[in-house]
Amino acid sequence: MSAVVAARSARRRLLTLQRRRYLVALLFVLPALLNFLVFRYIPMALAAQASLYDYSLLAGWGDFVLWKNFVRAFEDDIFRTSLWVSIKYAIGKVPLQVLFALLLALFVSREVRGMGVIRTIIFIPVVTSLVVAALLWSMMYNKDLGLLQSLLGVFGLRHPGLLSSSTWALPAIVVMMVWKEVGFSTIIFVAGLKGIPTMFYDAAAIDGANRLQQFLYITLPLLKPITLFIVVTQTISAMQVFVPIFVMTQGGPFFATNAVVYYIYQNGFHYNDMGYASAMSFFILALLVTVAYFQFKLLKGNVEY
Amino acid sequence: MSTRSDAAVTPTLRSGAGAMGRAVEVIARYTLYVVLGVLFLLPFVWMFFGSVRREIEIHGYMFPFSINTIVPVEWTLQNFLDIYGISEEGEKGGLRFHRGLLNSGIIAAAVVGLSMLFNTMAAYFFARLPFPRKNLLLAFVLATFLLPFEVTVVPLYLVVSELGLRDTYLAMIVPFYASPFIVFMLTQFLGSIPKELDEAALVDGANYWQILWSVVFPNALPALATAALIEFQFIWNLFYWPLIATSSLDLQVIQVMIASQTTDRTIYWGRTFAGLVSAVLPVLLLFLGCQRFYFRGAVLSGMK
Repeated sequence: MSAVVAARSARRRLLTLQRRRYLVALLFVLPALLNFLVFRYIPMALAAQASLYDYSLLAGWGDFVLWKNFVRAFEDDIFRTSLWVSIKYAIGKVPLQVLFALLLALFVSREVRGMGVIRTIIFIPVVTSLVVAALLWSMMYNKDLGLLQSLLGVFGLRHPGLLSSSTWALPAIVVMMVWKEVGFSTIIFVAGLKGIPTMFYDAAAIDGANRLQQFLYITLPLLKPITLFIVVTQTISAMQVFVPIFVMTQGGPFFATNAVVYYIYQNGFHYNDMGYASAMSFFILALLVTVAYFQFKLLKGNVEY
Repeated sequence: MSTRSDAAVTPTLRSGAGAMGRAVEVIARYTLYVVLGVLFLLPFVWMFFGSVRREIEIHGYMFPFSINTIVPVEWTLQNFLDIYGISEEGEKGGLRFHRGLLNSGIIAAAVVGLSMLFNTMAAYFFARLPFPRKNLLLAFVLATFLLPFEVTVVPLYLVVSELGLRDTYLAMIVPFYASPFIVFMLTQFLGSIPKELDEAALVDGANYWQILWSVVFPNALPALATAALIEFQFIWNLFYWPLIATSSLDLQVIQVMIASQTTDRTIYWGRTFAGLVSAVLPVLLLFLGCQRFYFRGAVLSGMK
């Protein structure tokens, strides 16, 4: 009788002990979870709410307007153009960067004298802040006093003022951004290349495959998952281009570089229309989350080789 | 160190003209070194040299292109004296880049310190502490990877405003005291430290907190260094968020300061260069000093 009671109370004590242990464990993760809840998840909820209201920073919460902000986005020519600008930017930048990074990676992954220094050099723009890079390049692009014009002058050429031309401004920003970020993709490709077992190449060499064949039939297929990953993550980040637009062109000339995140910024903070800015943010967010979701699906179980 | 690329190169060379082929290969390689070096470094060289020469000299030697287009004839620190408000001209122009650097420094120190503490604690929980259905909580963390940052800046602003943090240091510190990516990275790493160490310490009567600091922490130093460097670079280079989260000049971080000083119509090239150098130097020196951490960080964040 007393033995049963003792066993029961021992079990209860064990249970509360375990529960207390869980509670203590939870304390370790709670601050971080709270951060993610408040600063990552709640913003989404609040944006969803704000998108349904007339909301401005000065006037606060106004009338409930239901879909008005979304309908307005679909009817807003400037919003559509800005979406198109971001897409054009991504279409220009991503393939260029991936191609360039792959070529660079094939070169810099070789362990020969001096290559460590080169790897360092191409990574310097990556650690540099985007503001610094953008300012530096807008000075280089300056048509009267820029370094680019000075260099072109050696060959007797003149450029038209790249950032003030509605044709050239976006490509000029693309070039700057590829320069800035290609080192990052390169290092990832290098890691991928180093992960390919040497014996594959040895075997291919014995079978008489030349270097081009080795590249086409061994390297490229084995790099596919990494390439896919870089393409998707870069596309998502390219769709969000903001800083170079803000620093170099302010969306101009004639909306030629008015990318969508810049347009959202303008609406929220210059035209003081937070409700509309939230609605557009929410729309882009949904778009990019969908892309990211498919990326995770696509890559699941596809990374190992 | 024999790598696959060497193995791939050797047969072609052997079948080629031997020493001759090798010489050609070396020359081609060094040519490519120079091309890449110029392509990636020239803007920085131009910037560094531009910061230590007078404005009039930058413009005077721009055309035609010569060595002095880039290298100063007369070296001076005047631009730096100006932007730090030390010289009379700089003081009159209201230039206080030292304030921007100080603000960025304070914010970076706070964020790196706090995030090391809270990220490590969270990672310790995920990697080593007992809890029912931990995977659900981990999913809660990882799902934030799906949220693109620049797009969520406006919504984040709404939250920070509601909390009454607008235009304070806290607005730039509090949202970043924990990072899902760093938690994930450290979780991977802490999981690889032998669990027997914890168990031995538990038997000796240590609590979780003591185990974290005396057992796990010392074993995780390289990973923590990588995390700290990534975090520092992230927060030092942040622009969009501080731009909208603060409006008073006293709170301007260095990145916002250099951008707002130069989007005015009159651009002072020498001073701008000096500002750029100031903004880039801390991160650049850290990178050059601790490269392997950065490359590892890039690979980890690139491949998740």
